[in-house]
Amino acid sequence: MISKKVLLVGNFGVGKTSLIRRFVHNEFSEDYISTIGVRVSTKVIQTNKESLKLLIWDVAGTNGDQTVPKAYFLGASAAMFVFDLSREETYINIVKQIDMVKELSGLKNIVVIGNKRDLMTADKLHILLEKVDVTIDFITSAKENENVEDAFKLLGQQSLK
Amino acid sequence: MKNSPQDNLKKENRFELLRELLLEDDREKFNALSEEIVMREKVASRVDPLIDAKLNELRENFPVEFGEVITDTIKTQIRDSQDEVVDALYPIIGKLIKKAIVVEIKKLSDNINKSVKRTFSFKDYFKRKVSGVNEGDAALQDAFKPVLEEIFIIEKNSGILLGNRSTENIANKDMVSGMLTAIKSFAEDAFSKEGQDLEDIKFETFHITLYNFNTIYIAIAISGVQTLDFKEELNNKIHNFTEIIFDNRSNLENEKKLNKLIVEHLIEG
Ligand SMILES: Nc1nc2c(ncn2[C@@H]2O[C@H](COP(=O)(O)OP(=O)(O)OP(=O)(O)O)[C@@H](O)[C@H]2O)c(=O)[nH]1
Ligand SMILES: [Mg+2]
Repeated sequence: MISKKVLLVGNFGVGKTSLIRRFVHNEFSEDYISTIGVRVSTKVIQTNKESLKLLIWDVAGTNGDQTVPKAYFLGASAAMFVFDLSREETYINIVKQIDMVKELSGLKNIVVIGNKRDLMTADKLHILLEKVDVTIDFITSAKENENVEDAFKLLGQQSLK
Repeated sequence: MKNSPQDNLKKENRFELLRELLLEDDREKFNALSEEIVMREKVASRVDPLIDAKLNELRENFPVEFGEVITDTIKTQIRDSQDEVVDALYPIIGKLIKKAIVVEIKKLSDNINKSVKRTFSFKDYFKRKVSGVNEGDAALQDAFKPVLEEIFIIEKNSGILLGNRSTENIANKDMVSGMLTAIKSFAEDAFSKEGQDLEDIKFETFHITLYNFNTIYIAIAISGVQTLDFKEELNNKIHNFTEIIFDNRSNLENEKKLNKLIVEHLIEG
């Protein structure tokens, strides 16, 4: 079976760990336990042809200009940038942040996820989408299990490219 | 042994327990903060800057304000709850640590028993007298004999497990090799200059040695006390082993084959 290392990055508290928990264990918790360092989980997914084992690196959230240590990106086949739809400071610099992730990882495409859909009204979401200058791949809710599977599937597909 | 969802859950809980132990005193503060976040989401965006400033302040001042508390907490917690700490740690480096401790204690008592018996065996007694080995030394050497507990062949940057051999079934080997690599990345990033590799992780009498190569590294967990002879022999074995696997890199892509080579060259060889 092929294995690929993939990485989740983004500001702290945006729901990276929650997305992984939902995806791997189908669980969700309201508690916020900030990730220390890195935590690695694994899950086998089915792509069109074969099974693919994802080694998911859940990296501690960053803040403002802080960057993820470059060493964490080494050997990563795909990366997901997560922001919190309900907190503007997690996407206000999104273009710059994604460029930084691309530069550090050497990856051409980054999967972009706006999380916590459940906290947004349709109107608010509409206004936000006008404001954000990057293509958002999926709007998710770890809490309500919305688009989580699809987001990781895309991440898996990108890891094979 | 299969890794059931329940096991995973248990391990997850243990991991949380470790966090709990480490951060107990600050947990309330974190809780207060996350409550604030929830509140804020309900109230309105105008409080946003305030909370962000607070969060920033907390992040920045964290070491100053809580450093001492954390250190103290860790110290007392470790003293008061060694079992829990071991339990909490064990998903991180797999079963290695806990097992090592258990195995060591068991081995020690077994060996002491055996040694005691042997001391009273006349045949052994005379044999040792003749060969000049001191009774105590011999008993000690036996008790702390180094044992290769786990061998992992890991792709260097990604932490992907290419092959392995364990004396017992480790629940999630992929996670162990991932975490090991993460610890390695972190340590190398934080403490050393470029091109330097982390080579040793020690835990009481348990020892993980990392042999670094260009694209892979080999992590070997050893319990017991390593003598110079043992180390030298192991180095030779590793040398032979890597010569063979690097000679034909397809060896690294075939887990079964690689595992066979591990047994042939590192265990039996
Ligand atoms: N309402 C709602 N809350 C969410 C969602 N996803 C995560 N949360 C909550 O947001 C908080 C932070 O989630 P985490 O998953 O710990 O965030 P993180 O990005 O891993 O944070 P760091 O590890 O600090 O970087 C927790 O209280 C979660 O319960 C979501 O989809 N909806
Ligand atoms: Mg997290």
